[in-house]
Amino acid sequence: MGKLARALLPVLFSLPLAAQTFSQRGYLESDLTLYPETAPNDSGQAVDDSLFRYEASYQALPWLRLAGSFDARFDTHEQAERTARLDWQDRSLQRPALSLREFNATITKGKLTAEFGKQFIRWGKADILNPTDRFAPKDFLTVTDPDFLAVLAARVTYDTGTDSFDFVWQPRFTPSRTPLINERWTVLPQTVAGISLVDLGAEYPGRSAFGARWNHIGSGYEFSASFYDGFNSLPVFQGALDGFFRTYPELRLYGADAAVPLRWFTVKAEAAYYTSPDRQQDEYVIYVLQFERQIKELSIVAGYAGDAITARTPTLQFSPELGFARAILAHAQYTIDSNRSVAVDAAVRQNGRGSWIRAEYSQSFGQHWRATAGYSWIRGDDGDFLGQFHRNSFGLLALRYSF
Amino acid sequence: MSRAFAFCLLLSSLGFAQDARQIVAESENRSRSKSQQYEGTLEVVGASNKVSIKRWEYRRIGSYGASKSILRFTAPAEVKGVALLIVNHTDRASDQWMWTPAIERDRRIAAQDRSTRFFGTDFSFEDLEERDVDQFDYKLMGDDTIDGVACWKIESKPRQSKSSQYTSSVVWVRKDNYTVAQIESYSQSKLIRRIHYSDIQNVSGIWTPRTVEVYDANRKSRTVLKLEKLEYNAPMKDEDFTLEALRRG
Repeated sequence: MGKLARALLPVLFSLPLAAQTFSQRGYLESDLTLYPETAPNDSGQAVDDSLFRYEASYQALPWLRLAGSFDARFDTHEQAERTARLDWQDRSLQRPALSLREFNATITKGKLTAEFGKQFIRWGKADILNPTDRFAPKDFLTVTDPDFLAVLAARVTYDTGTDSFDFVWQPRFTPSRTPLINERWTVLPQTVAGISLVDLGAEYPGRSAFGARWNHIGSGYEFSASFYDGFNSLPVFQGALDGFFRTYPELRLYGADAAVPLRWFTVKAEAAYYTSPDRQQDEYVIYVLQFERQIKELSIVAGYAGDAITARTPTLQFSPELGFARAILAHAQYTIDSNRSVAVDAAVRQNGRGSWIRAEYSQSFGQHWRATAGYSWIRGDDGDFLGQFHRNSFGLLALRYSF
Repeated sequence: MSRAFAFCLLLSSLGFAQDARQIVAESENRSRSKSQQYEGTLEVVGASNKVSIKRWEYRRIGSYGASKSILRFTAPAEVKGVALLIVNHTDRASDQWMWTPAIERDRRIAAQDRSTRFFGTDFSFEDLEERDVDQFDYKLMGDDTIDGVACWKIESKPRQSKSSQYTSSVVWVRKDNYTVAQIESYSQSKLIRRIHYSDIQNVSGIWTPRTVEVYDANRKSRTVLKLEKLEYNAPMKDEDFTLEALRRG
């Protein structure tokens, strides 16, 4: 136990009991993924992944809230580590078996909120792709179904009700988790077929990242402007004789997003200009324009994600953001009743060389159980970011117990 | 003769209109408070009589028109933490945002989406707004009884500034304590939703229905909301009703 924790514990236990509010929730979920096809580097066709997630928060004082979240997971495909160590950094190639997913303290004083610790920070207004969402690294072990990772940061927000100003300082870098080299979501080019590639590790950025965002709520519209100076959470792969290692390019980003509810639908737009001060990655603009409409129990979101590359750099980078751009994106969900729903998601590249469609049915049973069955179709050819995963169409059966 | 008759008719209809508005205004005045909070238990009874239970915590600051409220689900487990912020306005429809903790995102509920059911209950997003007296035109339709109690029966139609899924509503206001006993809301002449208020008790000097039953005429389903731990005028702060407050829980 660190010195800081030892110093803080007596303070925490001496907080007045009268002010205590403790709340908790969590779930136990088991996902069975079935792949009809094998992949050249992965013959596994059935993967079971079980996750126990526990979240708790404690309102220690009217102005102080402590929150934490813990994950324990096990899978049959070694996407999760098999060592029983408690991870808090989220820097491992595999998902940690035991992980402190989130832990933070929130201090509120009037219009000011300060949040310190490992936390989730989400920016942007679009629903399908968020170019301005820079403090949100992801777990891409299954590329089409990423999960967000928390970052270690200090966040200060001043919210007047109509305007909010958000300042984030991230002293320690959290990378996105890229697909494992020996599994199907890494599609290797033919030129390296038969060569055993080894991940030689990563060179993480030594300095901190900073971001600021202003959000304004007007009468019938909302917009934000944001700035980020830090690093891309997605790596550039540098080749070596016996493998490759990962570096993370510097990134400076200027972003904006807006939502305007109109008579028939809501328009949401989000755009960001990515520049690379160390010239280690391409410079480009990514934008999303989406339309959203709710018709009774049917919710529809459809839009277009585009990009414009302004400066190219000859590096090899894993970039799902650009991979999902130049595409028509859509999401539809129909709520059958209070227990059942169906949903469809789609991304179709404008060149027709890659597409992904997911259909899902979900039903809850009683107060705690939910079952989900779905299928993801991926089509296309090897030269396209989406199309390269054409062997990875999969069916999913999930069972969750929430408490 | 016919002109005189028409003039009398106009006068009487103006008189009725003013009375109806005054009744609704008095009803609003009597239920005015600096704040309100309660824990709600919702029993959602589907068309096939399947019952599901949900719970939320509700907090409101201000009254009629200038109020803000936050409603946060506490059960069932899978929706725990889902919250709705409603900022009511005197001159237009409310602004609403929904917070979904699983994706750490808030989403603005657009005006055209307000007819949607709120999270599997029979309330629509619009039903969760406060009805400000100045956003409707009223006509007294006569007297009626609800649950054996004498009521004024009043038709209300939203003004142009108030976008609504309903073209009209019929509101029953109790004559004994000016509480609303029932609201039937229509699209043209078709009944969309009936909200029935019962178990009316005096809490801190305000007559308040402790049971609210919403009937969705299209789906033939109903939701019964019971208000527990109801409290008025508890100290609350304006800064606890912002998007940031919605996010931090």
